[in-house]
Amino acid sequence: MKSYVMGIDFGSTTAKTVILDLKGRVVSSSVAHMGAVSGDGVKASISNALEQAGITQEDVGRTVSTGYGRRMLDIADKNFTEITCHARGAVAMVPDARLVIDIGGQDSKVIAVDSNGLVAQFAMNDRCAAGTGKFLEVLARAMEIDLEKMGGVALEAKEELKISSMCATFAETEVISLLAEGNTKPNVLGAVHAAIASRTLGLVGRVGKKGPVVMTGGVAKNQAAVHYIEKALGMPLILPETPQIAGALGAALIALDDYRSEHKDELAEMEEDDRLEAQMEFDKSCVPGCKGVPELALTEQEKAAGPAKGKVRTIWEAVQNNL
Amino acid sequence: MRLLATLVLEAKPEEDVNKQEILAVFEDAASRPLAYAQAWKDRTGGKVVGSFPMNFPGEIAHAAGTLPMILQESDDAITLGHGLLFPFYCGYTRSMVDQAARQEFNVLDAIMFGDHCVQLLGMADAIRMQLPDTKVIFFQLISSMCDPWTFGRAVESFEVLKNELEEFLGSKISDEAMHESTKIFNRNRQMIRKLYEMRKSGAVSLSAVEMQHIVKSSMIMDKVDHNKLLEQFMAYVEANPEPEPKGIRLHLSGHFCQAPKREVLDMIEDCGAIIVGDDLYHGFRYISTDVDEAGKPVEALAKWYMERNTGVPCPTRVQNDVDWDSFLLKAMEQEKAAGMIVLMAKFCEPHMYYYPEVKEAFEKKGVPHLLIETEHESMAIEGLKTRVETFLEIVKRRQAA
Repeated sequence: MKSYVMGIDFGSTTAKTVILDLKGRVVSSSVAHMGAVSGDGVKASISNALEQAGITQEDVGRTVSTGYGRRMLDIADKNFTEITCHARGAVAMVPDARLVIDIGGQDSKVIAVDSNGLVAQFAMNDRCAAGTGKFLEVLARAMEIDLEKMGGVALEAKEELKISSMCATFAETEVISLLAEGNTKPNVLGAVHAAIASRTLGLVGRVGKKGPVVMTGGVAKNQAAVHYIEKALGMPLILPETPQIAGALGAALIALDDYRSEHKDELAEMEEDDRLEAQMEFDKSCVPGCKGVPELALTEQEKAAGPAKGKVRTIWEAVQNNL
Repeated sequence: MRLLATLVLEAKPEEDVNKQEILAVFEDAASRPLAYAQAWKDRTGGKVVGSFPMNFPGEIAHAAGTLPMILQESDDAITLGHGLLFPFYCGYTRSMVDQAARQEFNVLDAIMFGDHCVQLLGMADAIRMQLPDTKVIFFQLISSMCDPWTFGRAVESFEVLKNELEEFLGSKISDEAMHESTKIFNRNRQMIRKLYEMRKSGAVSLSAVEMQHIVKSSMIMDKVDHNKLLEQFMAYVEANPEPEPKGIRLHLSGHFCQAPKREVLDMIEDCGAIIVGDDLYHGFRYISTDVDEAGKPVEALAKWYMERNTGVPCPTRVQNDVDWDSFLLKAMEQEKAAGMIVLMAKFCEPHMYYYPEVKEAFEKKGVPHLLIETEHESMAIEGLKTRVETFLEIVKRRQAA
């Protein structure tokens, strides 16, 4: 039996990989820009994660892929949609979450989840790139500003402007008109982010507004997007530390379930061995020279009184005298 | 044009014909309906009567010796039709008008239609203007199905329709001819219903697209020829049982006028579903109900019209003792379907208005369903695939729970 499982999120603009051990602990994670067609980004993401974990693909027992390129990965044993995986990953990161807003490069989705991270309902953008990372990318280019900086500039907006087009290309025309009318870049960028928030609220409406809400996907790193979505929702967003890897984490958790269930007998044996080993370690503390006093060796009165000096030695001597 | 139907029916001995060859004939007619009509016309010298969905009694036109044909949405992009119908009309009506504007309906001698929805009425007017030399016969069907006068009104409508057709063709349609056509149509419906039963039980493996080819070609082809092919098909599939297909059993619902696009149906099955039932017009809705073979033929058609709404309820009809959502839930139970995909054509008003009731009933019962809005223009299949796969993942999980 192998000791690790892997989740890969082969997205449209980035590739993410998460490696877990069989207890579900994150061993490593990696995000790489791509290269969607060549697959170079996903290869880099996988090798980085393996390197960080200090293992090779041979050590991985199960690999689950997700994202738009999920079917293109030969190393994946199974694939699941990004909706299923983001739900699972987001709830693993924020166990109380009941609604997941995921805004990625090419799509945005709102997912209602149960306490196990399973999808109850979902809605996806079905109108081109409206309300996605691509929408921000197109408009950043139109406004000649770095994508990473646009959120910060948008937060400086003083005036509320409106971009009403559903289409990224037409929105670009609106942005140019607003700038031509003499509006400031922060105000126009504020309107761009408000437009994303309004599309997101539309998706929330289709699924049903509920909380707590967690936001995942690359756009969760954009402070202005978060601010405007919170304002539109009238609710705070919980932001995981690494929102981009939620899908890959979900995929890895599904891989873990699958692998654990396939090897449940061996795992039960291993867990029993671990338990016995721990017990042995514990018991060893009764031998001379050990620093601690095992709780089990004390009566309730002794526990209440605190450890009695020399007690363990006395027991040990008594045992030896009787051998 | 050489039709596959002719090749198979005339050139090959019956025992040599296999399932795929007959399906290819059905597909050929289903994909080129107007070419089929032209070839039939060239062969027989008869007249072709086109009709719009969904309660047109083809039996009357057949009894008059014509080829009744349900007119089909084309896969071509809308071109000249844009100048005649606004984009908020559904894909079916826009495609019909576009075909008329491009003079593709010249093969038709007459077109008949009933007032099933406002968009169909607008479409018929636009077509009438484009084809001034084509006879257009309009018939009105009562939409209130429970009134004491419903039956009488339906009889009147079909009488008017029959009279107008007789006038156009210049000859009377006898009761005997009507009875004969009714038998032929019933035989066709019965065979297709049997295929539905066989698919449900796993006795025959038919994809959603293959079933669509069978039903759609029945709307187009001469029913006598279609029956002959169906008989060969039934004989073949009964003699050559196949292993039961594996997948998540789903019911397909919606699309009252046009056939769902092939790429959508294929995509749903590629995601791991098998379609075990439907209420599509290009499906069970078309063949759900037979016409009485005895008695007065027009009265039998009126009875058929009324029973049809119980066979598969339609949101364009009003019937207090029938509701579509209960019908769907019951059908799914019989089909052992684990979920339903609703295919809603944009902008089909009757469907849009009724859907909230279906949604509510399904959510109340905890039966998973997914709504997909379909368009005449190409659809973003990759995004749809993600939605369908997620839906199937939800269905699988509920099955496992």
